[in-house]
Amino acid sequence: MGPNVFLSLRNITKRFGAVPALNDVSLDIGEGELVCFLGPSGCGKTTLLRVIAGLETPDAGEVSQGGSNLIGVPARLRNFGIVFQSYSLFPNMTVERNIGYGLACRKWPKDAISPRISEVLTLVHLGDQAEKYPHQLSGGQQQRVALARALAPKPTVLLLDEPLSALDAKVREELRAEIKDLQTALRITTVMVTHDQHEAMEMADRIVVMNAGVIEQVGGAVDLYDQPVNRFVAEFIGRMNLVRLSATKLSIAGERSDDDPYVGIRPEHIELIDVTAADADTLVGRIEKCVFLGSFTRITLTVDGKRLLLELRGRRTDLATGAALAVRIPAAAIHRLQDAPG
Amino acid sequence: MSSTAAATRLVPKFDTDRIAVLALVVVVVVPLLVFVVAPLVGIFKMSFVTADGIGFGNYVRYVNSPKFAKVVGNSLAVATTTTAITVLLAYAFAYAMRRTAMPGKRVFGSMALLPLFAPSLVQALGIVFLFGRNGVINRTFNLGIDIYGFWGIVISDVFYSFPHAYLILSAALAVADARLYESAQVLGATGARIFRDITLPSTKYGILSATFVVFTIVITDFGNPMVIGGDYSVLATEIYNQVSGQGNFQMGAVIGVMLLVPAALAVIAEKWIMRRHHATITERSQPLMVVRERWRDRTGLAFTAVICGLIAAIVLVVVVASFVTLWPYNMHVSLRHYRFEVQNGLKPLWTSIWVSLMAAGIGVVVSVGAACVTRRLRNLAGQCLYFLSILPAAVPGMVLGLGYILVFNDPSNPLEGLYGTLLILALCNVYHYHAQGYLIAMTSINQISRVFDEASTSLGGGFIKTLWEVTLPIIASSIISVGVFFFVRSMVTLSAVIFLVTPVTQVAAVSVLLLDDAGNANQAAAFSVCIMVVVALALLLFRLVLRMSGRRNVLLIH
Repeated sequence: MGPNVFLSLRNITKRFGAVPALNDVSLDIGEGELVCFLGPSGCGKTTLLRVIAGLETPDAGEVSQGGSNLIGVPARLRNFGIVFQSYSLFPNMTVERNIGYGLACRKWPKDAISPRISEVLTLVHLGDQAEKYPHQLSGGQQQRVALARALAPKPTVLLLDEPLSALDAKVREELRAEIKDLQTALRITTVMVTHDQHEAMEMADRIVVMNAGVIEQVGGAVDLYDQPVNRFVAEFIGRMNLVRLSATKLSIAGERSDDDPYVGIRPEHIELIDVTAADADTLVGRIEKCVFLGSFTRITLTVDGKRLLLELRGRRTDLATGAALAVRIPAAAIHRLQDAPG
Repeated sequence: MSSTAAATRLVPKFDTDRIAVLALVVVVVVPLLVFVVAPLVGIFKMSFVTADGIGFGNYVRYVNSPKFAKVVGNSLAVATTTTAITVLLAYAFAYAMRRTAMPGKRVFGSMALLPLFAPSLVQALGIVFLFGRNGVINRTFNLGIDIYGFWGIVISDVFYSFPHAYLILSAALAVADARLYESAQVLGATGARIFRDITLPSTKYGILSATFVVFTIVITDFGNPMVIGGDYSVLATEIYNQVSGQGNFQMGAVIGVMLLVPAALAVIAEKWIMRRHHATITERSQPLMVVRERWRDRTGLAFTAVICGLIAAIVLVVVVASFVTLWPYNMHVSLRHYRFEVQNGLKPLWTSIWVSLMAAGIGVVVSVGAACVTRRLRNLAGQCLYFLSILPAAVPGMVLGLGYILVFNDPSNPLEGLYGTLLILALCNVYHYHAQGYLIAMTSINQISRVFDEASTSLGGGFIKTLWEVTLPIIASSIISVGVFFFVRSMVTLSAVIFLVTPVTQVAAVSVLLLDDAGNANQAAAFSVCIMVVVALALLLFRLVLRMSGRRNVLLIH
């Protein structure tokens, strides 16, 4: 987290009718930090963003910015910039007027508006598109304008609600980097909602993994990948084999012998060994499926009737479905998870 | 930290936005109470006033009179017969338009709507010119057909209500999921079976909706029964006779309530049906492509051509009759009926135009305003406003007009000064057609994504600013079409204003009725033609303006 707590969420609860969208959520966001809310659809991430924006009022809890409570402050007075998923540019206005809209609303002096519009348009590399209407722009350009429009009034917080999910894969990757660079340069406190783990891992200083209205884990990409606290986080970020400890042929020091907990193993941490060199720690199985995925090959191995996923670097022409395979799980690859699979 | 100070300052003492919303609510709701609810209350109150004080005396007296059963029976007979015929014809017509590959759809589609742009009694007028006592058929072939009465009203009202049914059914038949039809074909279903098992069920809501809409239109229609009904009394004409003929306001009010009940039930049924209409077509549906099929297309063409021919013939007869010396005896071309030497000359036409322009202006403000407020409120208050806004759809014009006399011709009413002015005619038209105008605006406002509202709010835009700079410009085309709707309706409507006009404020549609009533059918025809010309010119003008401002594909007809 950054040096100062800038935005603070305390015990936020929100229901839609009988459906709880957020359940007692608390989170601190530091100044200048980029935080991603990551989770499957319906996990409450967008609702949490909308609570911060002031577009939803929580049933209980407190949102404060720099120590003063924001509950009761209407969205239009918060001076937070928001970029929505798509199609949020006013279709009846040119790019220029779209960007100037927030400045006019915030009563900027007339002679300051036009230079500011040029400034933010240059920031998003669209300096020559000022006269165009939204429908004349590509999806990526529209989202750039939306970003410029959100940034123009110099907001204290930038909120991004799945800003890239409606775009083509190629454009999405371009914009990811661009938004991150811009955010770093402006050092603006930013919250982004996404369901794309790669987007979150690439862009976020910290990732907030959410599920069913609660925060599962908060941390950097490396922390979440290497030390997931539970099965949900482990499976949502990357892939994870979930097996009984006994099935790994390993033991963890200090475990009681009757305790056979589930543990997680990342597919790429499983090591391939020569069948002839098999020993007591070796697991021998049969290849059920072998899928070439470009930079790596994913293998589904059946060991004693249980499936194990392996990811091996590069293309493996030597392995074929039905062949026997011997593998070993290094002790360091074992992740203890808080909850057992259901 | 500086942001602390900023945040503290931002917490508002009072929210100016709330005040703006509240102000617009007042602007929208108060007139609805004054110009819709109060007249209705007035009618109910009056219906209970008897010589012996307040009570059900009027109802008892009316229900026991022999006339009651007859008039109610007549009204129901006319309404059900007309509804059955119209819905059947309109369904076949819409089917030909939407589900066959026949040529000439654009022309036929426009011609089917012709009756919307003529005063409501033009159909009866045209049929009298053809089949009446002095009609061209009877005079030429000496047939002695007596068209006056039940069948005259039914035929006129079939044409009168046809476009309304056609628009609804055409919309229902326009959407279809091609996947259903393809599955049925692959499974070996025949054409008739596909129609019975897929087409009919998927359009049943449209059929029900059209049925109730036509029923309401016919049972509340006043112009056609007046012209062609003869001695055959229906509820709408009976109100007029009681009030204008005998000055019996209490009895007029009683019949008004009697008319209100079936009309309101039909409207409630229609709204209820349309609520459950939506989910039939999903985003994944594939639009149905109509393929050529020789005999089906030819049958469709023949049928639509006949219907359009009849619709056009009736209007054409009226136009021709207005240009001949004395229909049908002296068919020499003459402009003498256009001299309008009686009844204020052409002044009622100008009055009508002026009233319609006022109605268009006021109608746009109140109905679009009501739609904007409804969208903003979203909760119970929004639902109440919705109900209040569509309430006028259930109120027959005759009933509303009578309510206006009762409320505004009362010296104790501070608004009594309105009575006898052109403004009250405009207001009466606005609130008579408020529901339709409101629903047009509501439909297009609901098509705007809420994201625009939220984007504007997050950028610091208040309710009024968002409305003015974002919402209204986006729906500009719809706003214009709401205005056109109010203008056209006001030009041709008769039922609501018939009670409110004075010799000074007489409007064109009323002139047509009075001229015809006075036995001057040719001049009545001439006046009708003038109204139709004005409406046609107005529509052309709007098309031109829209085209020049780069807006195409705007619906001017609803």
